[in-house]
Amino acid sequence: MSGPGLSQYLVWCLCTLFEIAVVMCALKKGAFRQYLLLNFYMLASVAVTVARFDVLTSYGFTSPQYVYVYYYSDALLTIFLYFALASLYARVLSELKAERYLRFATLLLLAGTALFSYAVVQQSTTKLLSKFVVELSQNLYFVGLVLTYILWGAILKMRETRTRVIQLVLSLGVYFSLFAADYALRNLYPSTRSVLVLVQQMIGCFLPLAWAYAFWFSPEEARLAPSRLAAVPR
Amino acid sequence: MSRKLTVLLLAMLVLVAAMSLKTAAVTHGDGSVIMANGGAPAPPTPWKNGGAPAPPTPWKNGGAPAPPTPWK
Repeated sequence: MSGPGLSQYLVWCLCTLFEIAVVMCALKKGAFRQYLLLNFYMLASVAVTVARFDVLTSYGFTSPQYVYVYYYSDALLTIFLYFALASLYARVLSELKAERYLRFATLLLLAGTALFSYAVVQQSTTKLLSKFVVELSQNLYFVGLVLTYILWGAILKMRETRTRVIQLVLSLGVYFSLFAADYALRNLYPSTRSVLVLVQQMIGCFLPLAWAYAFWFSPEEARLAPSRLAAVPR
Repeated sequence: MSRKLTVLLLAMLVLVAAMSLKTAAVTHGDGSVIMANGGAPAPPTPWKNGGAPAPPTPWKNGGAPAPPTPWK
């Protein structure tokens, strides 16, 4: 496998700039503390990018060092994204006063996913830890996907009206769905793999771009009425 | 049913749904993984590429010729 081309480096650079933009927009609009875990995820993503770039340029694309840094940091970022999603749940369900149960459910689901991942890879004789890390990352991705769709449902059911929260959650759902679609297309049309690898990187730019937009253009007090879209006249 | 048990049930339901979705998606895949963080180019998975040589799987190697599968 050859190393990344110029276009891949450009997309990667663009993605990092968007991630920095999310934090800058949140700071400028006074939303950094309100959405602390989302911003923490973006900051962690920037830090991971710096580490990955350093290892990539030092050791090469197919080096074991880059492979390990990439997958281990990805698992870490997936866990951060999972907690960021849990913080969005806490925001949407704040009226229910169920923070305690939400924290319990968040940790329980994370522990359950970790246990399941371990059960899947426990019979491997080699690279058990690496397989566990990648398996956990994969499984948390699917848990995040399901949780995001449930949160979409909760937003409609609870008639959530805060524009910024709705945009943050919707963009997360679209982000997860785009990755799933890209994965499906890669398997359906293996000949287009080289193109879809670049598309996969571009999808990575979607979430920071959408969140930066939400922080910059949607003030905290802005309101929408998504429930009207789902209301069926009788 | 107590609230904690309800939370436990919901968490397990989410886990089952997510793992079912994963099984459906990955079963027809080529063994590649979905990475969903940032724009860094994804390298091959650690166990396909690494320093140590991968040992042969027990069922693909051996002196004896492989017998036909029982269901054929």
